[in-house]
Amino acid sequence: QKQLDPSVFQRLHPRAYLERFLSEGIRPDGRDPDAWRSVSINVGSVTTADGSALVRIGKTTMICGVKAEIAEPELDRPECGFLGNYINGNKVPNVDLPALCSPRFKPGPPGDEAQILSARLNEICVSSEILPLNSLCIHPGKAVWVLYVDTTCLNYDGNAFDAALLATIAALKNTRLPKATYNEDTTRTICSRKVTIPLQLQSLPLSASFGIFDSSHLLSDPTSFEEPLLETFITVVMDEKGSLSSVIQSGLATVG
Amino acid sequence: MASFDRRRINGPEESRPPVFEDDEDAEQISVTPKTRKGRANKDIRPIFLTTGLISQANGSSYIETEKTKIACAVYGPRQIKNAPYNEIGKLNVEVKFAPFSCSRRRAPLRDAEDRSISVLIQQSLLPSLRLELLPKSGIDVFITIIENDGVEACVASGAVAASTALADAGIEMFGLVTSCASAMVEEEIWLDPTAEETVRARASFTIACIPALGTVTNIWQTGQLTAEEAICCLEACQTCCRDIHNVMASALLNSQAAKCS
Repeated sequence: QKQLDPSVFQRLHPRAYLERFLSEGIRPDGRDPDAWRSVSINVGSVTTADGSALVRIGKTTMICGVKAEIAEPELDRPECGFLGNYINGNKVPNVDLPALCSPRFKPGPPGDEAQILSARLNEICVSSEILPLNSLCIHPGKAVWVLYVDTTCLNYDGNAFDAALLATIAALKNTRLPKATYNEDTTRTICSRKVTIPLQLQSLPLSASFGIFDSSHLLSDPTSFEEPLLETFITVVMDEKGSLSSVIQSGLATVG
Repeated sequence: MASFDRRRINGPEESRPPVFEDDEDAEQISVTPKTRKGRANKDIRPIFLTTGLISQANGSSYIETEKTKIACAVYGPRQIKNAPYNEIGKLNVEVKFAPFSCSRRRAPLRDAEDRSISVLIQQSLLPSLRLELLPKSGIDVFITIIENDGVEACVASGAVAASTALADAGIEMFGLVTSCASAMVEEEIWLDPTAEETVRARASFTIACIPALGTVTNIWQTGQLTAEEAICCLEACQTCCRDIHNVMASALLNSQAAKCS
């Protein structure tokens, strides 16, 4: 029988390639099925943003920047800087998967995957109550902070959700807001360049993603090669006290 | 005023960037320093350039010069779907600003500034590539600006990053394209101006050239310049481009050595 080069075999028969590895108890990049890739975080590199973080999980790279602006609060929640509405938050998290990060994404408006990631991230932010509601208030009823938390993917090698959540939390921890005073006479808010206050985070939700292959193998932290072959994805989000924040599962799932 | 974008999580209808107290004092200061602070007129900022950061792309590069940070990925040559037969390959350059890259938050929608920078970078790169060897194919160059310190610096660094990424992808070319920006402040030529220096200048002059062939591929000039001054800027930039070419070549050699070892 003719021997195939391993990289050619990987392209032609990806499923069989993965099965052969898993039957030996190992994954194509050398990890055990329950092992995680190394994580590295670099904060504060973008000076134009109020807070920033660059996260790498293996080769998946996400960069997140926080920009703060001032807006008027909603009438029925004058002290809340916006949190509360199920769709909006006073943090506006958005994930962008540009065409740069993978050949799968085309340039243009956000596709399905980016919209799903943004929606999930927003749910976690709202339900975990990362920031206490009143900490973003400058003057009740007149001026509150709005935090735009934008995450851009630079390299997509699987497990985008964990990286995006980690980048968002790290950037929020790194954020320093200028001290703002509301002047009642001129109805304007003036900020100080010299005095900055860090954000007080109440909880730090972190997530772990898994995939199930062939209804028999549980793989943690799937890469972009393994992702199309897995039929089920499970993401568990917990905060640092160990209490469960959210469990998301998608796909056909029967675990024996 | 942000328009409602149904594909993204939206914030409040209207939000304003913060106004700082020193901005109101700064307008009263009319005395501007005569000499450039931090470096000489002909010095450019140190460049940090690496390739290979984006593993999913055929070629990629990342450039950082003090406050300008740009990531570039090249996909290609690949098939263009639903297009008529083209004998010469198509080069498509797309530039995107990250929302946190400017001092005032940019909406994620693409606007005229993105497109004008894309056209300038495409014009810089086009003469250097051997596109006649790639019929029926297209090359996509995606540039993301992570931090922005002046549009001229973005155009110049973007062209350098794009040319390095194209070389990293193995696309045949006549030579590497280097690009340098300059500004005319009173009677002096300042190379590689920052955003603040550009505001004070009366004219800015950005060129892209191929040092290996000694040809100029793109000139972008704004402001008031006499013809003699323009030629002086051109010569100053071309000398500087040769130094940038060395930086690009050594970055590519290092990455190839790392791949082979």
